[in-house]
Amino acid sequence: MRLLVVEDDADLNRQLTDSLVEAGYAVDTAFDGEEGHFLGDTEPYDAVVLDLGLPKIDGLSVLENWRRDGHKMPVLILTARDRWSDKVAGIDAGADDYVAKPFHMEEILARVRALVRRAAGHASNELTCGELRLDLRASRVTLNGSPIKLTSHEYRVLSYLMHHQGKVISRTELTEHLYEQDFDRDSNTVEVFVGRLRKKVGSDLIETVRGLGYRLGEPVDG
Amino acid sequence: MTAETDKPGDSEGKRRKPKRQVSLARRLMTVATVWSMLALAVAGIVLAGLYRAASERAFDAQLGVYLKTIVANMVPDGNVAGDSDAEGDLVRKPQGLGEPRFDLPFSGWYWTVIDHASNEVLFASPSLVGDMLQVGQGDRQEPDTSYFAIGPAEQEVRVRRLTVEINGNNYDIIVAAETDDFREDVRQFRRLVLLTMVILGAGLLGAIYLQVRVGLKPLKRLGGSLIEVRRGLAEKIDEDLPGELAPLAVELNALIHANREVVERSRTHVGNLAHALKTPLSVITNEARSTEGEFADKVGEQATLMSTQIQHHLERARMAAQRRVIGVSCELTPVLERMVSAMSKIYRDKDVAFDMPDTDELSDLRFRGEQQDLEEMVGNLLDNACKWADLEVQISVAAVSQEESARALFEICVEDDGPGLSEDQRLEAVKRGKRLDETVPGTGLGLSIVADLAGVYGGEFELSRSDKGGLKATLLLPSV
Repeated sequence: MRLLVVEDDADLNRQLTDSLVEAGYAVDTAFDGEEGHFLGDTEPYDAVVLDLGLPKIDGLSVLENWRRDGHKMPVLILTARDRWSDKVAGIDAGADDYVAKPFHMEEILARVRALVRRAAGHASNELTCGELRLDLRASRVTLNGSPIKLTSHEYRVLSYLMHHQGKVISRTELTEHLYEQDFDRDSNTVEVFVGRLRKKVGSDLIETVRGLGYRLGEPVDG
Repeated sequence: MTAETDKPGDSEGKRRKPKRQVSLARRLMTVATVWSMLALAVAGIVLAGLYRAASERAFDAQLGVYLKTIVANMVPDGNVAGDSDAEGDLVRKPQGLGEPRFDLPFSGWYWTVIDHASNEVLFASPSLVGDMLQVGQGDRQEPDTSYFAIGPAEQEVRVRRLTVEINGNNYDIIVAAETDDFREDVRQFRRLVLLTMVILGAGLLGAIYLQVRVGLKPLKRLGGSLIEVRRGLAEKIDEDLPGELAPLAVELNALIHANREVVERSRTHVGNLAHALKTPLSVITNEARSTEGEFADKVGEQATLMSTQIQHHLERARMAAQRRVIGVSCELTPVLERMVSAMSKIYRDKDVAFDMPDTDELSDLRFRGEQQDLEEMVGNLLDNACKWADLEVQISVAAVSQEESARALFEICVEDDGPGLSEDQRLEAVKRGKRLDETVPGTGLGLSIVADLAGVYGGEFELSRSDKGGLKATLLLPSV
């Protein structure tokens, strides 16, 4: 899962990024509205954390521009102006949720988790596929009730596939949602992660659809 | 339970009405009416008096003619200072005065000639039928005098006495005539004067009424214009007024404009301050939470305290800025729809059903105040209801007619089917910064902000138990 954090305060931006990375997300950062708008316009994010008081272009305009251009990624707005008129203006402009400053990081994590999950069409914070369970709140994976240890990249691959169960995900798409923007991407490494995951969660859960990509789903008997 | 709020805002709705002064129109009408009626009455009395005096003079002049005729008749050969006549009498009995009423018995018209020295009646008119004319002689020192007296047959008479010297002898010649005609004449004139004055008075009253109405019309228009501005139906006062009032309207408009600017500046300033303070506070809070140790705990604790205080004082500052906003109002329905739409999006996971009132019926309702404040109150109520509701949030709106107050009010009721609050909890919930459940996100200011804002607008905020089992929040606000 790949996120964008647009926040002009360097310290807050760092805190947000650190917490989100720790929670298992690939995070890109922007420090002003212009940069934020460009990234949201060009990269496929699973969710965006957007501050409203930004230099160059304000957050509300950035959001409106994205929505006008047809970008549907869920957006969580951060606002110091916490009157309902400000919050509703954000929601009217296309935001999916808001958090008023000052906030606790746990709240941001919970809201982002909910946005990503909802965008993929899941109602619960626990994603399951057969005996495989992914607890989004704890970033924990269990198989038949036993915890499985995953590296951060393995977790990201599994999380993305679990969010999009039953759909064929191309290597390119998986790569795009796995790494930060400035990461030296190599789609071959995806194969390595998938190979390792198959060893840990069972080889029949992740199916390779030849020429198209991967699909996570319950193995069909026979 | 009614929310306790600070006095300034609270007092706005409940302040005692000052004793009503008499209206300008009534003052003008009363003064002009009293003065005109007094002037008319005095004019009537003076006119009647003058007429009576003139009538008396004319009557006296008529009596004078008879006196002179009598004198002329008395003098032998017409010579007042001449010799006696053939019989040796000094004077002759006057004959044929040309007035038949002097010859008719007790006709009311009499004359008599008295010897001034002996007071002996020398001659008398036939109308006295041998009686003496006892009407006194007035001031005996005055040679010519007139006065009223009671004559024979108890009739009021006008008496004129003239003392003349004929052939060395002084004679008092008295002519008396009944006053009935004269009195009737004066009475008729008085009636005429009264009628004239009544007609004139009615005309004057009409003129005063028209003058006051027409004269005060621009003032009334100015008042109406000011009411429209205060109710938020107009942005400024109509300046198309007479020369005396136009400068007042211009100054009032300048005041309204200045008021709006001050409010706008304060709001921007508060917003900027909020942004400037809250971002560093977020950093401090999160830094402290992610660090182990006593120091970090202390910093975290104090940062949370600062955050609550900042939030509270920012709200107070906002309210202080907004309390004096003149002439703003907003429609209720769009605000309700907008807030419900936002809540549906925010709480889409909970799948809460909103039971909305029929917005067509509410299309006339306008909140007398800032839209942002209405959104703040409705937003907080709905947010709270959505947080706790199981399945349903019911919103009802009704216009309230208050018998004792002239103010128009409306009531917004938000109910949920959640766990609700106990009596004590309900009291606590409207106190500032209270959060009854720390597990549900929020600043804990929501309901107390609603209570404070309602107080600012002279409204009321009440929490009670809903029939649905949850909390029922009732908000009473001024409408246009």
